[in-house]
Amino acid sequence: MNTPLLYSVTALFDTPDGIIHAAEAVRKAGYKRYDIHTPYPVHGMDDAMGLKDSKLGFITLGAGLMGGAGVFAFISWVFMAAYPNVIGGKPFFSWPAFVPVTFEITVLSAVLVTIGSLIAFFFKFPNNSHPLHDTPYMKAVSCDTFGISIQADDPKFDEAAVTALLTSLHPRTVAPVCYDEAELNHTWKTFDPKFLALLAGVALLVSAATYGTMNVVLYMPPFDWMMNQNKFKPQQTTEQYPDSRMMRPVVAGTVARGFTPYPYKGMADSAGKSLVNPLQPTAKVLALGKEKYLTFCSPCHGNFAKGDSRLRGQFPNPPTLHSDKVRTWPDGSVYHVITEGQNIMPSYASQISREERWAVVHYVRALQRAFNAKESDQQ
Amino acid sequence: MSTTQVPYQKKELPSSVSAFGAAATIAGAIIVALTFMLDHSRGLYNNIIGLSVMTSVAVGALFYVSLEYLAGAVWSTPFRRVLEFLSATVFVVVVLALPLFANLHEVFHWTHSEAVAKDALLQGKAPYLNIEFFTIRNVVFAVLWIAFYMVLTHFSRKQDATRDQKYTRINIRFSTAFMPVFALTTTFFAIDWIMSLEPHWFSTIFGVYYFSGTFLCALAVATFIIVSLNERGYLVAGLGKDHYYSLGTLLFVFTNFWAYIAFSQFMLIWYANVPEETFWFISRWKNGWEYVSLALIFTKFLVPYFVLLSQPSKMDARKLKFMGVWIFFAHIVDMYWLIMPSFSRTVMLGWQELGFPLLIVGLITLTFVFKAKRENLVPIGDPKLQRGIDFRI
Amino acid sequence: MSNSAIDYTLEHPAVAGTPSAASIDEVITAPIDSKPSRGWWIGLAITGSMLGIGVLSVSWLFYKGTGVWGVNQPVGWGFDIVNFVFWVGIGHAGTLISAILFLLRQKWRTGIARFAEAMTIFAVMCALIFPLIHTGRPWLAAVYLLPYPNQHGIWVNFTSPLLWDVFAVSTYFTVSFVFWYIGLIPDFAMLRDRTKSKIKKIAYSIFSLGWRHSNRHWQHYEKAYLILAGFSTPLVLSVHTIVSFDFAVSVIPGWHTTIFPPYFVAGAVFSGFAMVQNVLVVTRKFFGLEHIITLNHLENMNKVMLLTGSIVGYAYAMEFFIAWYSGNPLEQFVFLNRALGPYAWAYWTMVSCNVIFPQLFWIKKVRTNIIGMFIIGVIVNIGMWFERFVIVVTSLSRDFLPSSWGHYMPTAIDFGVFIGSIGLFFTLVLLFVRVLPVVSMSEIKAVLPGAQPDHH
Repeated sequence: MNTPLLYSVTALFDTPDGIIHAAEAVRKAGYKRYDIHTPYPVHGMDDAMGLKDSKLGFITLGAGLMGGAGVFAFISWVFMAAYPNVIGGKPFFSWPAFVPVTFEITVLSAVLVTIGSLIAFFFKFPNNSHPLHDTPYMKAVSCDTFGISIQADDPKFDEAAVTALLTSLHPRTVAPVCYDEAELNHTWKTFDPKFLALLAGVALLVSAATYGTMNVVLYMPPFDWMMNQNKFKPQQTTEQYPDSRMMRPVVAGTVARGFTPYPYKGMADSAGKSLVNPLQPTAKVLALGKEKYLTFCSPCHGNFAKGDSRLRGQFPNPPTLHSDKVRTWPDGSVYHVITEGQNIMPSYASQISREERWAVVHYVRALQRAFNAKESDQQ
Repeated sequence: MSTTQVPYQKKELPSSVSAFGAAATIAGAIIVALTFMLDHSRGLYNNIIGLSVMTSVAVGALFYVSLEYLAGAVWSTPFRRVLEFLSATVFVVVVLALPLFANLHEVFHWTHSEAVAKDALLQGKAPYLNIEFFTIRNVVFAVLWIAFYMVLTHFSRKQDATRDQKYTRINIRFSTAFMPVFALTTTFFAIDWIMSLEPHWFSTIFGVYYFSGTFLCALAVATFIIVSLNERGYLVAGLGKDHYYSLGTLLFVFTNFWAYIAFSQFMLIWYANVPEETFWFISRWKNGWEYVSLALIFTKFLVPYFVLLSQPSKMDARKLKFMGVWIFFAHIVDMYWLIMPSFSRTVMLGWQELGFPLLIVGLITLTFVFKAKRENLVPIGDPKLQRGIDFRI
Repeated sequence: MSNSAIDYTLEHPAVAGTPSAASIDEVITAPIDSKPSRGWWIGLAITGSMLGIGVLSVSWLFYKGTGVWGVNQPVGWGFDIVNFVFWVGIGHAGTLISAILFLLRQKWRTGIARFAEAMTIFAVMCALIFPLIHTGRPWLAAVYLLPYPNQHGIWVNFTSPLLWDVFAVSTYFTVSFVFWYIGLIPDFAMLRDRTKSKIKKIAYSIFSLGWRHSNRHWQHYEKAYLILAGFSTPLVLSVHTIVSFDFAVSVIPGWHTTIFPPYFVAGAVFSGFAMVQNVLVVTRKFFGLEHIITLNHLENMNKVMLLTGSIVGYAYAMEFFIAWYSGNPLEQFVFLNRALGPYAWAYWTMVSCNVIFPQLFWIKKVRTNIIGMFIIGVIVNIGMWFERFVIVVTSLSRDFLPSSWGHYMPTAIDFGVFIGSIGLFFTLVLLFVRVLPVVSMSEIKAVLPGAQPDHH
């Protein structure tokens, strides 16, 4: 046990007027390192002690402005640069909608920084080992008494003079406050292995408890009622039918709605003789034919039916449609080829409807005529 | 009951004040007359601006008088007479409304029966928007304002002589009654004179928007006068920083309140994007009006906000006087922004727009001088006066 | 204090009589240091059972999913949002008392500020339950909400009012909590210096952070308190404003109306004051704090209720008038439907509870009658709950297409969760009055007669 050191000389007063008077007297006597302790803020004490205005407001202003400007810039970046998204038909920089979040963050950052710096820098808290703690003096000012404490580290400090000064102010009591250096100077041993082990243990325990709570105690299997429904899927096998196919073939003889059978299957000649183009070559029909031709025929036959395939040899080129043979074919034969295919050309019956096929026939005729025009056309 | 006598020596206002008032009134009147001669409709729209600003000052001042009674505030008691004098301009409001009543057809689209016949919306509104009902209710508003002005100031004056506390009690009663009257009359005043200029447009917050500006305008004018008078010792001794701080704080609070209401109205209409509401803002965001809109944000919110933000500047007499004048003109800009786009699609600003502001400044000054000659500048009989002078933060 | 003899030359005392600072400590710490009474246990049993009902309801909700609630098309927002808005609103009175009345230098706030702030925090906690549980399994939130930006590189939608709510309510909770805690620090120091129990002493020492009542600290402390009050005031307005944006930015008739922000704020303050008044009436009787929470305080609160109730009435009237004035048939229908449609009973409950009954506060006899004011406080809370119900349900149940109209009927689980939130609130209040000083001792001492020096 070390010898107690003197921290300060204290005096207690019963009235707010008394303490204000004492503060003024002590300030006039030239002491700098003294403090007043009151159970509540006493009006006029800051002037009596000659304290300058608190600078806390500047921290608040700075933190608020930085927080607000920062979050506004961030939101603008999100909406204008990171992932521009049209929301509600508004422009990317729709600042009125940024205001609420900006405001909240301004308040939050200003308040938290203010209070954080108040406690850490202005109060230097937490500090539970100040010499004044656990003294009769502190217990008195905590309740209803007003105290002044002149510290021993003041350059003008002299115990006898200070005691005399304080006594002259008619206090209730004057008393010195002492402290034990060893008791005050215990510091946190942050890197003590025992402490680190404790931290690790706590971390492990918390993690395990969290994991257990989340994934064991509260775990429920994900609902899969929609994924696993009581039904058969088309590609599944089944024992219900002898062919084990879940997807049933259509009943023999079923005809699709609006289906008309094509009677000239494999009968190219009779198709050519019997079929007549039901459409008139109007501009509308030709436009339809052109559209279908360019979509389905032109990749192989070429845009102008010259047999100049765009497939660059990946597929054999068909012959030109401007040959005499094709030009002299009847419409029905051309129609038949589109419907049934020929040589390596497949059937286009499923892609191009009947009407459209006849329109394509008209368009092919128009192309042929464009490249081998009749005399009468050239006039 | 303690009957402490507050030392108050009445001083006459210098003649320069009334000279200034007369000059401003005459100059304003000349410009107004010229405007009416050159462009009659423009004069009328300016007249509505003048009317709405004047109402803000008069009825807003009366609002603060009754608020002081109701809240039992003491710091403002030494200043109450100034607000009472300002509310005497309620008679000027009536005068300013007369030219408009003579020319309702020129400003209000809904008064044209042939237009209403073609317009289903206006037909729906006809039970409210018709000349007869419009006239009746606005006369009722004026009568109510004048009645409350007479009653409240009457008892306040009587107290000067008798120092009887019962007048405070009576005025609290009347102030209570005035509050709902204030809210409803100013709301419908704003709907009638400003919102119905665009009879298709509607906004539930519009009344609140107008009276939030009213609070601000009346307080700004009062602050300028109070600080100027107190600096030259026309009021009682002992009024200082603590009282200024309260005035500055109130100005700051109402600046924020106005901005809050204005932003809420804009934000909701902008966000929901319903064409029957947005056209009102769109017409204020093109053909040069966008500069007026921006100027409004700066003059009525940003500048006062940052000037009054810090604690010392709320106590600074110079800044307070400056802000008083500034906010008064910001309120004129606000009314201009509300009203003029209904008159002209493109922005319109010239010497013609100076007439009514000058006239109002002159008339406020003259009214004030007139009242100050006859009455004490401080309610010396008010029981709260001593506490008001002793007020410390 | 007879009615007619108010002397306006004198200030209204913040406390009744002239109690000494030591006696204030004595009275306020008594509930903390003594054993709880039988009445307290009975109260805790009641609120605990209500909380239990809530826990059971929420468990069932977690097990079965949100289908156990009554919400369905077209009323997709039901009790969850109604209760959320209700509880957030309750919280507003606390901040109003602690911040706005502080800025207005109203000394009568000192007796009730601590309590009101605590109720703010508890009410916001109750409110936060609802957005949390409406997600179904909130503990999975970490998985489906985080991280940001998500796999597609998209951030949250900062222009959505529901996101604004997250920011507003969490900021509000944080700032209210900080405000409350800062106010508690000197009281913790007082408790630390008073207590004789070793464990309590350690706890109080930690919470007081080592406060020494030093004037060099008080100076910054007062400044910080002023700054906090200055920020809390716009913050509290912003919170219910943003809650009102949830509705008002939409284009649903009856929701999209520009008066919503101030109207919601006034309504929130209204219901909050009613709740604080109710709890204070009981507490002051229970703990013998009649001289600290005086009849004058309660009367002032009733006046605030009268004012805010009238503002709410003004907003109702404005909504109705402008709905008619707008000439918009959808708006007109919604408001007629509110007054005459299937939910007319809720609408008229709301109007009579919020606008008509509070008008009784014009009468001084009612304003100063403990039982009378308590009953009106309860009525106001019921009315304000119905206000949110009316706004949410009437607009949604009768939307644009008559073919998709529906009717909302809350289920027993809906009520269970609501009862649970009430139970949670009052359980927290009961624990608070036993554990912490219900009145700020340092503030009340500062307004006692003779507590401040005479002017020099």
